[in-house]
Amino acid sequence: MNNIALGRYLPIDSVVSRMDPRSKIMILLILMIAIFIPAGFWGYIPIVLFIIAALYLSKLKLSYAMRSLKPMMWMMVFLLVINILVLHEGTLLVSWGWFKIYSSALIQTAYVIIRLTLMIILTTILTATTKPLDLTLGIEKLLKPFEKIGLPAHVIAMMISIALRFIPTLIEETNRIMNAQASRGIDMQNGSFKEKISAVLSLIVPLFVSAFDRADQLANAMEARGYDPSRPRTRYKVLKMNSVDYVAMALSVLVLAIDIIMAVMGV
Amino acid sequence: MEAVHIENLEFSYDGETPVLKGITLNIPRGSYTAVVGHNGSGKSTLAKLIIGLLEPAAGKIEVLGWPLTEATASEIRDHVGIVFQNPDNQFIGSTVADDIAFGLENHCVPTEEMQPLIEENAAKVGMLDYLNAEPTNLSGGQKQRVAIAGILAMSPDIIIFDESTSMLDPQGKASVNAQIRKLNKEKNITILSITHDMDEAAQAEHVVVLEKGKVVAEGKPEEVFENEKMMKDLKLDLPFALKASKAFEKAGMAVRPVLSLDELVEEVCRLK
Repeated sequence: MNNIALGRYLPIDSVVSRMDPRSKIMILLILMIAIFIPAGFWGYIPIVLFIIAALYLSKLKLSYAMRSLKPMMWMMVFLLVINILVLHEGTLLVSWGWFKIYSSALIQTAYVIIRLTLMIILTTILTATTKPLDLTLGIEKLLKPFEKIGLPAHVIAMMISIALRFIPTLIEETNRIMNAQASRGIDMQNGSFKEKISAVLSLIVPLFVSAFDRADQLANAMEARGYDPSRPRTRYKVLKMNSVDYVAMALSVLVLAIDIIMAVMGV
Repeated sequence: MEAVHIENLEFSYDGETPVLKGITLNIPRGSYTAVVGHNGSGKSTLAKLIIGLLEPAAGKIEVLGWPLTEATASEIRDHVGIVFQNPDNQFIGSTVADDIAFGLENHCVPTEEMQPLIEENAAKVGMLDYLNAEPTNLSGGQKQRVAIAGILAMSPDIIIFDESTSMLDPQGKASVNAQIRKLNKEKNITILSITHDMDEAAQAEHVVVLEKGKVVAEGKPEEVFENEKMMKDLKLDLPFALKASKAFEKAGMAVRPVLSLDELVEEVCRLK
């Protein structure tokens, strides 16, 4: 469970890690829109340049960002196979009996792979440079305008931060239960499918029971310390935007604008 | 005025089997009271009732002179803190500083006043060097001390410890117990400690023994533990120091029955 790069915070001090989480989230959203604008292959050049700059400034290694792509490998291969089987447009490249590869299949797959890769690298940069709690605080502040239409932004943020806080605790608990069950002779690795299912059940059931128990105790502790979701609260951490944030956001808007222009002009 | 005044308190979780059967209890201000009893004697339920997490079926609870009702519960909680048993399940923030800040945030303390309060109270429990530490990297005793700091930041009049040391190793237990004594002596905070640990109960000024939802004995620790037969009948252990000093006495050595380990050491050292 420790080799999942996606979503892990790395404590590296850099220009990017010091940025306001709100601006980082906004930039991610702007660039995601840019990624999905059909501006041809050239349209990705400004986005890639932006990402290279972000990677350089965040002092992250490209290999680290790429590592989070590994789990996607099989999905990409699967996508390629599907595309080859389904898409029969463009020029015929390979013809091998009934097996034919058309150019459109390759181009479509390439698009999807580029989009996915860019999005994953962007998200990895965001999560690797931002503490989970800052991220939730950023989300809360960004959702604040929607509170007027009844969206409980601070409740959502509280739920996310508690979920993040309890991930290591629950992983620890999972390991403990697995060990306890293994010592009682339950084999998680081997056996038939049916045996594996029952082994997993022996893990899930106690885990759920204890998670509910924890939730109950946590709710008590929160209430006892005066937490009331319907009452206003002050915040310990305050977010502040600097010039770096404004420049970075302006640049991401510029990237989006270039892509929109390219798409409209049909370059 | 009493810190907590309880009169004929009754409670049941399911409406049928009573958990508390007519408890009457007075906890004076600035006192250190220990509530001991078996699992299922209703000790923890009593704590939850005092802080308003549960509603009594009958009877009356007054905290700091205010009658506890649904309307006053949140106000009363501004003055009463509780430290629960499981150190993990009451650590809400993702770092020590965030967790101490949680209560302050709930009480709308202005942001700029938080940092000094957090530092001051972390220092009181000896956790100042760990402000940015995450709960996974802390021991159980440290987490409980953070919980105490979070409550102290709100300058409470009463702190309830609901088996707060039962999941800790001996070292953690000792550090939390020392903290509890210090709060009571130096800050004059009323302490209500619900515990299994007779050694901890022995350090209190007042001991209440609960059995099957009733108060069966009450008094100074030396008085309560004096009644060896009752303790035996209730299957409650005696504090280690008392057992040891009595054993010495039985063996014909001139050791007075004492309640704390320090006193025991002193007594034994006086022997030839």
